[in-house]
Formats: sequence, C-alpha cells, structure tokens
Amino acid sequence: MRATVAIEPVSARIALVFVWLTLGAWTSVQAEPYFAVREGLACVACHVNPSGGGLRNTFGTTWGQTVLPAQRIEEEGLPMWTGALGDYLRIGGNLRSSATHADVPPAGGSDGDATSEFDLEELRLYLDLAVIPGRLAIYFDQRVAPGGSTNLETYVRYASPDQHWQLKAGQLYLPYGLRLEDDSAFIRQVTGIGFATPDQGVELGWESPQWSAQLAVTNGAAAGAETDEGKQASLTATYLQPSWRVGGSFNFNDSDAGERRMQGLFAGVRTGPVAWLAEADYIVDDGFAEGRRRLWVGLVEGNWSVRRGHNLKLTAEYFDPDTDVDEDEQNRFSAIWEYTPFQFLQLRLGARVYDGIPQNALQNRRLYFLALNGYF
Amino acid sequence: MLTQALTLVATSSDPDAMHLTGPTRAAGRFCGAWGMMVAGIAGCSGNGAGLDVNGRPVEGGDAPLTAQFESIQRNVFTPVCTACHAGAAAPLGLRLEEGAAYAMLVNVPSVEVPQRARVAPGAPDASYLVHKLEGTAAVGSRMPLNGPPLDAQTIQVIRQWILEGAQPPVSVRSNKSRMPAPTLSALWPIPDARLVEAPKAILLAADAELDTTLLRAGTVRLTYGTSAESNPEPLDVTIEAPTLAPTTIAIKPLVAWRAGEYELRISGSAPLSLADLAARPIDGDGDGVAGGDYVLRFSLEHDE
Repeated sequence: MRATVAIEPVSARIALVFVWLTLGAWTSVQAEPYFAVREGLACVACHVNPSGGGLRNTFGTTWGQTVLPAQRIEEEGLPMWTGALGDYLRIGGNLRSSATHADVPPAGGSDGDATSEFDLEELRLYLDLAVIPGRLAIYFDQRVAPGGSTNLETYVRYASPDQHWQLKAGQLYLPYGLRLEDDSAFIRQVTGIGFATPDQGVELGWESPQWSAQLAVTNGAAAGAETDEGKQASLTATYLQPSWRVGGSFNFNDSDAGERRMQGLFAGVRTGPVAWLAEADYIVDDGFAEGRRRLWVGLVEGNWSVRRGHNLKLTAEYFDPDTDVDEDEQNRFSAIWEYTPFQFLQLRLGARVYDGIPQNALQNRRLYFLALNGYF
Repeated sequence: MLTQALTLVATSSDPDAMHLTGPTRAAGRFCGAWGMMVAGIAGCSGNGAGLDVNGRPVEGGDAPLTAQFESIQRNVFTPVCTACHAGAAAPLGLRLEEGAAYAMLVNVPSVEVPQRARVAPGAPDASYLVHKLEGTAAVGSRMPLNGPPLDAQTIQVIRQWILEGAQPPVSVRSNKSRMPAPTLSALWPIPDARLVEAPKAILLAADAELDTTLLRAGTVRLTYGTSAESNPEPLDVTIEAPTLAPTTIAIKPLVAWRAGEYELRISGSAPLSLADLAARPIDGDGDGVAGGDYVLRFSLEHDE
C-alpha cells in the first residue's frame, strides 16, 4: 500500500509523535492473533512483516484507529495517520508501561512476599525502508527503552512480483505457533520463541488467501553468539478460512548444548463475538543436565468483544515440564479487560494466577496489573 | 472439555444476538464455557508429591540459600531463571541450567554490554548479572522478565558469592563437566621437541573458537625452566589470536630466546581458565573432560 500523506502533514505528524513520546503516554498493541481471527485475516493483512508483529501497514494502522477503539477522536484538518512518510519510508512504535502488584505466597520454607511497582516495560520503534516499494525493503525493530538501545529485528525483505513469496535475511523473530504479544505465556516462554529472542538467519515465506507459511533457518543461538556448526530450522504453516484457521509448527535446533525438537498445532475460531485461540506443543529437549526431557505446553484463550473498544480476554494454560515426572504440572489463568477508549491508546486491567507445585512459591504467585498500552 | 465448551458456544447461540441484543445471556455462555475449560485444566496441576522445590524428584531434600554456587543454582537459577534461560533456545545464548550456568557466567562478557562480565569475581558492582537482577543494567529489562524481582536478601547472597570470588561448584573444581570441552594442540614446537633454531613463535591450535579476552597473563604462562625444577623463570610474552575465527594462538617472549628448557602452561582450571566462546573451559590435560592445564615443554639448544 502506498503512502498518501503530504509533506506538510508529515512534518506535523513527526512533531506530534515526538510530543507523545516525550510525554510517555504511548504504549502498545502488537501481535494479537485474536485480532486476525476475529477479522478472518492473515497476519500480513495488518503487518509489514508477513509473519506478524511489529510495524503495521496502512490497513493495520487504519484498523487500529477506526475499528479497534471505542471511539475515534477526529483531528481537524489532518489526514489519518498511516505510518507512511512518503513512498519509501514507514515508521511505527509501541510503548508499554504498567503498574503491577505481585503476591508470592509462603512456600518451601521461604516467607511470602508482595511487591508493587511501576514499570516502563518497553519502547520499541519500527522503521521500514522500501528501497523498491513492494519488492525490496530494509526493516528495523529497535528497543530503545528502558536502558540502552537493543536491536530486535533487522533484515532485508524481498518479495516476488506476485507477492506470494517473501525472503528475509538478517535478524528476525522465529516463525512458530501463535505469535502472542505476551512473552510470559507458557507457549512462548517454554518454547523460547518470543519477542525477546530473535535469531540471525534467513526466512522464506509463502502467502496466499488460504495459506500462510514460513520456514526459517537460523543460528539457533537466540541472538547470542553462534558457538557451533548446528543450525535451527523453524517452520510454521497456517490454513486460513474466514471464521477459522488451523496450523502446525515444527522447530529443530541442532546445538552442541543438546538437540531440541518442538512440534505443535494451533487453531483459531470465531463464534459470534468471541475469538478463540488454542495451541499445544510437544517438546523433546536433550539439553538438560540429566539428559532428555519431554515437555507439553498448551494454551486456550477466549476473547469476547463485549462491545466496541472493550475486550474480555480469558486464558488458561498448561505446562508439563517433564512427562517422566508425576505431579509437577503447572497452570496459569488470566483474566484481562482490554479497553481502547480512542485510537492509539489501550488500557489493560488484569490478573494472572499461577498454579504449580505447592513447594515452589513462584509457581503459585498472583499478579494484578494495570497496563497502559499505546501504538502508532 | 475444550471440545464441549467450543461446541456449546458455537452451536447454541446466534452470534449477533449474543453481541448486540443479549449481553447477559452472552456473558453467561462465555463464562460458562470458560468455567468448564478452567475446571478441566485446573485439575491438571501437580500436587508436588515426592518433588523438591524445582519440581524434580527429591534427592536429599531442600537446603536454604547460601553464598555457594550449588545453593544459588538450586534455589535461584534452576527454579526461577531456567523458565527461559535453558537449553538450546536460551535467550542470548545464556544457559543457566545445572551443569552449564557457571561456565556461562563467570568471566564471560555479557552480550548486551560486552565490556562487562556477567560475573566478575570479587566485584559484584561490576557484574552484569547483579545489574540485571537489581534493574540497573544499561540495556534491557530487569530480570526475571515478566516476573516479580528477586528479593533483596537473595540478591545480597548472590553479591556475597561474587564478592568471595565467585567460587565454582564442586563439579567444576573437580574438573567434571558433561559438556564437550575444547582442546589445544601444538603446531610448533611439537611437544618435547629439541630445537636447534629458536622458534619465531609458539603456535597452538584449538578445535573451537576461543574467548580471546581470556588470553592474558592469568591464563598463559611461559617459563624458562620447567615446573619440575625448583625455580622456573616466568617470561613476559605477547599473545596474538585472530579476531575472526580465533582458533590459533601465537605466543612470543619479549626477550631473546636462550638455550635451555621451556614450559608453556595454559590454565584450564579455576579460578581463571581459558575457554571457548561458549564459556567451556579447555580440556587441557586431554582426559576428555573440561579442566586441567595444557602444558607444552620443549628445549632449545642454542641462544637466539
């Protein structure tokens, strides 16, 4: 999609973005697969990145200003923000801050503890430089706060003339399963594939109305230094229909630290105002001190669009850290009210309940949070 | 259970009616379906019978946290950090599971701030691990990510362990490691060579890329005279290794070669050992496990 923003409004937008960032009122909506399920769209419909997450394209930016919020604050005399600064450059960002209260019960001889904190979780800026619009682009995803700047994604992306094939090379997020925004979800944390663990390599993708597939071959070092000859292959494929989708993922990491194989199935279905997501993964990891472990991890999530701008997200998760050990399973339940009062701003009020073995306090903690999320 | 719940929601209602005209009924259906799922999954959590605090079968019971590496591993790294930092997919390559954590931490440059060691023995304030746990790191978020911070007492114990020299676990002190270790071999001179002509340099090769930040006086020692003698003379040396693919080392004394016996010793044991980029100490003595000093002896028949 081409930019339609004129030069003068661009300057005004940049100034506006700067002011917003300076005020620290921006946070994020990023990579929420339930949006895609609810709308019956592929990730690439809203994101520059065909496998989802990060910078939104013109459609995604517009959707986030018109369909998502409870109301839209009209801006007199200015065209709608699309993220495009001319024909070649597109920018975007996410900022997330939160107030969290954590209750850790007494367990295993340790005293209980409670903490409350305000936290600037992250400010990420995106830039897509389309040197040949529609065909060849350079993409950056930079985490600039808190602390110093860290690069998360930098890659060159080439698209075939018919846009079906995409080739990326550089540092990128791995394709595997549902690309949830919540990196603390078991299916993200245990698989080790999240927004904190990009890797360096190449990715080949295929996009069509019914299919979305990506195959990445990377170092397998989760952005750390490569230390061996082994490489990681990660494959995910999704069959898309307007009201449902189903997909499968496979990952193999050949490492001197021990081979790791993951395979999983995921699905999404829309039933009226509720968008459901589910994923289950089976992991075989040879990298543990005692040798091989087999793990199961799963998630079921329901997102009820109560009314425009309001979403109730309920999540149940399951984690079996070792199938050879009984009574070590863990659960996590979340209830989150997401309220998007107007464009670019979302509030999240939620609770997460961890339910694990009684002797481990952290596996039984409770988190209560209010998050301020913004996006542009 | 999941199938039942989805079927209930999908078949027993008009979706639009749920959304627009029957919010109370819709809420009831949604929460009812949800409750069924939660009830089904909640019954799956473990009761912990026969397990230690880390969810592993009990072997000797749980011990309180002390400023020993084994205790920190058991009470902090394993139960807290290995939720993410484990196995081949560990973020930034930092593996903190038992058997790997020590070699990944001590004297290893951090990925986020390479000029800082993750753990600098004797210097907790300079250790990036402490910065990350206390939330003062120059880059990235406080650890544990997405979880409550460690309490001050726990961090103080980790500080104390570092202040006391970040002593290794018994398994490392006894040169035991389950991970394959890099080995060194002499390209020139060969072991026990009797040289007629002074070498340009001592050339060694490694079968893995080495952490060149560890190539320094504390790990590399060239002496005139061997350790079998009463008082070998240490020699100042220059140490060179290529920046790209550092698998070779060139060592030269700063003084002219003299006729006599020489011994080159490269440390593979605590407190400071040469290691590869994965922080695996060298298998210096060639016994198949990490640890032990690499020793090369040779002699020169004439002065340079």
